[in-house]
Order: sequence, then structure tokens, then C-alpha cells
Amino acid sequence: MNQLIHKQENKTELMAQDQLRQYLTFQAGNENLAISILDVKEIIEINTITDVPMTPDYIRGVINLRGNVVPVIDLSARLGRQSSEITKRSCIVLVQVEYKEDAQLLGMLVDAVDEILEIPEANIMPPPDFGADIRTDFIQSMGRVGDEFIILLNINRVLSIKELSQLKQVADYESGNASKEASFSALN
Amino acid sequence: MSDINPALETFSQEVDELLAAMEEALLGLEGTPDDADCINSIFRAMHTIKGSSGLFGFDDVVAFTHEAETVLDRVRNGERAIDAELVSVLLACKDHTAQIIQHFLFNEDEPLPESLHQQSRALIAQLTGQSAAVGGMPSTQEEKADHFEVDDNTTDSSDNWVISLAFKQNALRNGMDPLSFIRYLQTLGKINEVIITMPTLPRIEDMDPEDCYLNFKIAFSSNADKRTIEDVFEFAEDDCDITILPPNSRQEHYLQLLADLPEDQVKRLGEMLIEIGALTEKEVAHTLNEQCADDNLDTKPLGEMLVDKNILQQPVVEQALKKQEAVKQKVNKESNYIRVDAAKLGYLINLVGELVISGAAMRLMVDKHGLSDVDDVASTMSHLVEDIRDTALQLRMVQIGETFTRFQRVVHDVSKELGKQIQLQITGGESELDKTVVEKINDPLTHLVRNSLDHGIETPAERLRAGKPEKGTIQLNAYHDSGRIVIQISDDGKGLDPEKIVAKAVAKGLVKQDQVLSKSEIYHLIFEPGLSTKEEASNLSGRGVGMDVVKRNIEALRGSVSVDSELGQGTTVTIHLPLTLAIIDGFMVEAQKERYIIPLSMVEECVEMNSDEWQIDDTQHYVNLRGQVLPYLRLGDFFHKNKKHTHTQRESLVVVRFGEAKAGFVVDELHGENQTVIKPLGKLFENLNGIGGATVLGSGDVALILDVQGLIQHAKKQVNPTLALSSSV
Repeated sequence: MNQLIHKQENKTELMAQDQLRQYLTFQAGNENLAISILDVKEIIEINTITDVPMTPDYIRGVINLRGNVVPVIDLSARLGRQSSEITKRSCIVLVQVEYKEDAQLLGMLVDAVDEILEIPEANIMPPPDFGADIRTDFIQSMGRVGDEFIILLNINRVLSIKELSQLKQVADYESGNASKEASFSALN
Repeated sequence: MSDINPALETFSQEVDELLAAMEEALLGLEGTPDDADCINSIFRAMHTIKGSSGLFGFDDVVAFTHEAETVLDRVRNGERAIDAELVSVLLACKDHTAQIIQHFLFNEDEPLPESLHQQSRALIAQLTGQSAAVGGMPSTQEEKADHFEVDDNTTDSSDNWVISLAFKQNALRNGMDPLSFIRYLQTLGKINEVIITMPTLPRIEDMDPEDCYLNFKIAFSSNADKRTIEDVFEFAEDDCDITILPPNSRQEHYLQLLADLPEDQVKRLGEMLIEIGALTEKEVAHTLNEQCADDNLDTKPLGEMLVDKNILQQPVVEQALKKQEAVKQKVNKESNYIRVDAAKLGYLINLVGELVISGAAMRLMVDKHGLSDVDDVASTMSHLVEDIRDTALQLRMVQIGETFTRFQRVVHDVSKELGKQIQLQITGGESELDKTVVEKINDPLTHLVRNSLDHGIETPAERLRAGKPEKGTIQLNAYHDSGRIVIQISDDGKGLDPEKIVAKAVAKGLVKQDQVLSKSEIYHLIFEPGLSTKEEASNLSGRGVGMDVVKRNIEALRGSVSVDSELGQGTTVTIHLPLTLAIIDGFMVEAQKERYIIPLSMVEECVEMNSDEWQIDDTQHYVNLRGQVLPYLRLGDFFHKNKKHTHTQRESLVVVRFGEAKAGFVVDELHGENQTVIKPLGKLFENLNGIGGATVLGSGDVALILDVQGLIQHAKKQVNPTLALSSSV
């Protein structure tokens, strides 16, 4: 893990243009995914995650990051798959997303972090209209590495605070607890 | 603010404070139009701003404030009466001054835009034009009236100025005519008596017809001040010893003025007496010269000399000395205050928070390793940390009074605009709470006060018809109650009409036609979005946005809001708020291996759950607590519905109280009290009810802080979704 971080630091000295094409690849829900390295703040190992009750599955809980409380999102669950099991290789990728002109630090629980890849501009393709079982707006583009395609995630969409905090109520729905809106519409 | 230099920043702060003081004083004048304190403070504000602006070369500010100052000086001297109109103009002047200063602060080199110039001119015209029209004529009448009054009082010989003129022998030779002075004196007032003494009259054969041997003692009644009287004898100064003793009635006047003197800096006795007009500069200079000239070792202090020389009465001098002492003390006290950058203070509080956490971690280690000799040191330190925490939090505590008094202006302006007569009563302004809370409560409070002004209080005609006094009253009250602060906004207006609210709510689809709601549930409906019972929207309120925002803002501060009303009698809105946002005393419990913090101020008691005594089963969620029904929540089950739980043998019931209601939480284990540093959960959990925040435990783990009220409401909704609205407790 430390190696990874070192690597990342060394690369920061490179030209910004090169950086644009660097991606951190990781696994979540048995799938190879990647995000732009510029979105990654830090990669940490998992200590204790405190569960936050009354939240949907994809909100895994909160952790203590040097005295600050940071929410952790279960990426696999967020993409509509099973909740991740925590294993030896599980990691939390810390990313920063913008919300109402504020930056919010979020942890992203992934099954394993692989490597940092350089994908040339020419190998980056637009996302398919359908076919991927991930919401299309979550996919920024597809990156071709050798003979395979890796999904490059649009982190500001996947971890959109607006949506995450809204969807909470949908989750309430699903577990059978009528939310306020539900009761109103029922009354109408 | 960052791009202006520090001196200007200080200047802008000073101006802000002065203008705030001025506004307060102006509004104070509404109630007591001739409060010298208020007038002085308004004058001082304009005067100081003028001076400071001059330093920075803001000529337009100087020019404008100078006009205002001139008018205020006349008011101060009693030449112009303060009326509501003048107060309004002065309020406008205050706002305008702030505006032009803002302009210069940010565009230092640019000239004032024409619009502001025009405004300046218009205000000056209002100020001075009015003074010509309103002040001009009546003031002369006033003078005349006073004049007659003095005439009536002439029988009281003690109420006269006593002027002693001791002409020197060659006065006549130098062209002085004592009689001409006395004649001129008559233009200022009435000479009641003249006693002529001739203490130096030589024998007749030694007399020089060109010498003057006459001394005059004149009993003189006039409203003119000492300075003016002294000016009469200005030319005679060199040839005549003049003492002017103020009348006894003046004495009280001086005493009053002395009491009103601003206490901002230590002045010398002479300066103080000049300022109130009891002495003139000449008299002081003269006396001081004499004091210096006197080679005698035991020179008398200035005060004593003044009394001896019959220039001033003893009590005035004594009072002045007392005042001087008081001011000295006050100035000393004031210099003990330090202005601190709020950001630095925030940083300190954060550090203290970290300190508390590491203290807890150390405690944990000490216990874990059983280091008994370290134990003493550790407990001393935790006491100190606790003290530091309390002191640090105290630093941020401010009185809510200042926020309250700001509403005087709102009430003043709005009631004028609406043509209503409304007074604002403030009580409990000394209640303290965290500065961040004060800042954030300002907007909701403004909204509520405006609501009361607009919707609550009726027009004078309506009020009279309803048999109420013409003048409506809005009350702002604050007090502490079990670790929280309670703020009440009440008015004696028309109150809320339950039927109207229900009708509107039904129209909006918020409730069903046949739904039975209690009174408090109905009143609580006004906090729902889109509900305003006012038919027509004014520019103040009535668009139905607002009350829901008010509620949301208050709940964001971990507070609660409730309404009570009596149709035709008035409405009271009650806000409960925590005193601070940073650290609370918490009570830690454990349920299903997760730790939770309940704010200690809400914990009423802890009871052991004994399954033999308490009939607890899974269908029934209440217990009999000493004869009362107590609903409870099993925290573990409630939070983790989908998991299977094994209940431990010994469970505990934590009884919590919020407002009037009580409820119980069933937990697996009690961990006791601890200091809880509140860490925000962030935007992601904005919509999460029931969890108020998080904290970092000594072990480094995160524990969640329960929002008791939110949690109970959440539970209520689940039990009966149609009751979702009756969130009032």
C-alpha cells in the first residue's frame, strides 16, 4: 500500500497533461473499475467503521480520520450490487467531492486496490449507451487496457452528495418505512 | 475585508460599533425623548466618526457627519427638540453614513458616486431644513417662555447667577465703562439686584476722579450658560477681576451633566468642569496660573481653590471628583478587554476538543495498564482539562441581549411602514449562549418577529374594536432551562385561527378533510412548507415560505420550536436551543456492540430492566414506571432491524426527558458520563433524523450522538405514518 502512495507522490511532479491520463484501478463487486488519480486524496486501510443506523446499505458508516469524522460509502452497494465483505485486501479510497461550493471528504470502500495505470488518450472511449449494468451517468468513459475495457467512473456522479443524502429516503421506502413524502402522497 | 489595511479594519470596526450604539440610542429616544445619555451617545458617534474619517481623508464622510453633528449639538444644547421625525431622519443618516464609509473602505481612491452625493444632500437638507422650519420658530418661542418663567422665579433670590466685578483702579482710564457692561448684560437676562461696594475707597482728599473704586455684585437671572455670560466681560478682563457663581438651580443641572459625562477617558478636573459648562476655560487657566504662582509649599488642589474663590459651589466640585474617580476605574476595567479574532478562538476550541479526546485516550491507557502511580497525575490533568474546556467555551459565550435590541429597529421601521403602533419588550437579555448559536438564530428570530409584526399585531383601529390597547406589544424573552436556552417571541395580537389553518392545510393536501388533529398539532402545521394564512402577501411575509425554513434552521442547531396561541389573545413561539455547539456532557451507552452518546442534560434516570418485574414482550413497547406509562425504544432492534439480536441478561432503561415528554431507551450496557466533543456528520447525513452528530472516543473509534427528539419523532412516524405531522411533542 505504501508503495502505491509513493508512486502517486512521485507522479505528481509529472506534467498535468500526463496526469490527466493516470487512473487508479481497483476492484469492487468483482469488477475492475478506475477513477482519475486527481480525484484520489489518500488510500487507507480499514480500522473500525462505525455503523450509522437508519441509512441505506451503501452508507457503510463513519470512520475517524485523524480526529475528523468521515463517511464511508460501500461502492459495490452503491453500484447496485451486493454489500462488500471486508477482507484482508479491502481498502478505503478517500476522495473529495464538491457540494454546494463546499468540498466534502468521502471514503469509498473497495475490495482491493490494484495499480495506477496510464491510459493514452487514444484508448479512451465514450461509454456504451447500454450493455453495462452500471447506471450510464456513473460512467465517465471506457479505458482500453490491452484487450480489456475498464470502466472509468465519474466520481462526482457516483458519490453525489445531493443524491446520496436524498436516496436515503428511497431506502426507507424499501424497508417498508413510509417516509414523510410517502404519507403525504398516500393522503392525496 | 482582506484587501484593506489593518488601520482601516480597526476604523471600520469602530464605525460599526459606533453606528450600532447610535441606532440603539436613537431608538431609545423614542421612549424617552430627552434622555441626555442617548443624545450624548448619538452625538459622540457622529463626532468620532467625523474625526476618524478625517484621519483617513474621507472628506465626504467628514462633510456629511459634520452637518449631522451640528444638528445634534443643537439638540444637545436644548436648542432643538427631538421628535419622531428627527429620529427617523437621523436613522437614515446613520444608514447613509455606513454606506458611504463602506464605499470608501472598498474603493478608497474612487470619488463618491453621484447617487450617494445626492442622498447626502437630501439628508442634509432634511436635517437642516427641518431645523429651520421646526427648530427655528418654536425655539425662539421657547426661549421667550423660559424667559417669563425666570421672571416668575425672581423672588427666589438663590436662583440667580452671582457675578462679582472688581474693577481695577485704572479701568476708567483704559476706557472701560462698567455701566455699559451691565447694560449689555441685560440683553441676556434680567438683573435682579446690583449691590455696589467700595472696599478700596480712599479718603476723599486722596480720591482721583479718574480712578474706579466701584465693585459690583450682580444678581442676575438668565438661561445663558456661563461661557456666554463671561463673554460679556471679555473686554474688561484685563481691568477687572470677574467671578461668576452659577445659581443653585444650575448646580443640579451641573450635577446632572456630570453624571451624564461620557466615561470613555480619564479627564482632568478642569476639563470636566469646562465640558459641562460650570467653568470656562479662562477661569481654569486663571486659577491654574494662580496655583503655579503660589510658591507656598502646600498648594491647594484646583477644586479647593475654585470653591475658595467662589467660582463654583462645593457639591459640584465634589461630584466632579467622584466622577473622575469612577471614570478612572471604568477605563481601567475596559482596558482589560481584548479583541480576539473569532477564527483564532475557533481554533482554540478545536484544540481543546482534541485535548479532551486525548485526555480520554490517556485515561484509557492508564486504566488498561493499571499504573496506579500515574493515576493521580492523570486525574489531576483531567480536572485541568475539564476546567480548560469550560473556560474555553465560556470565551465564546455572549449575551443574547444585543441580538434582541437589534429588533428595536426592525419593530420601529416595520410598525411605521404598516401603520401600526407596536412596542418591543425585552427580558432576559443577559442570558448567555454560544456566539455561533447567536449568529445562526438571528435569521429565524427576525422572521418570527416580522411575522408577529405583520400577521400578529392588528392595526390600531382593529385593536380598539377588539377592546385591546391601541399599542400592540411584542415580547422577546430568554431564559435557561435544564442546560438549554429558551427563547420566546410572544405578541398580543389576533392569534392563530385553527380553522383557517386546517382549511389551508386541507387545500394544500397536507391533511385529510376528516382527520382529527389536536390543537398543538394544528398549530404545528404552520411549520409545513407552503402554508400561510394571510390572504395577501406583503413585502414582509405571507408568501408561505419561511416558517418551514425557520423550523429547519432551528433544528439544524439541534433545537426545537413550538407554537401556542389563543385566538384573539396572541401567539407565543417558543424556541429551545442548546447553549453550545462544540462540546456537551454526554452519557455513553452500548447497544448491539455499538456505542451511542445521549446528551446528559436529557437523561432523567437509569433503571435496570428486570424482566420479572417489568412485563416486557415484543408486542408491547411501554413500561409502567412508578405508575406512569413510559414508551420505550429498544435501541439495538430499532437501529438494526434486519439482524437477529440476542438480548443480554441485564438490560438497562435510560429515561430521557425532552420538554414535557418522557421516553425510555433500552440498552445493553451503561458506560457512564463523558465529555463529548461534537464532530459534525457532514452534508451526507443532513436529512438523517435521530442522529445529532458523532464523536471520537478515547479508543479512536467513532460513537454517534443521539438526537433524542428526532429519534422519538422518527419512531412515532414508523408506528403511525399518518401522525407524521404531529411531530410536536
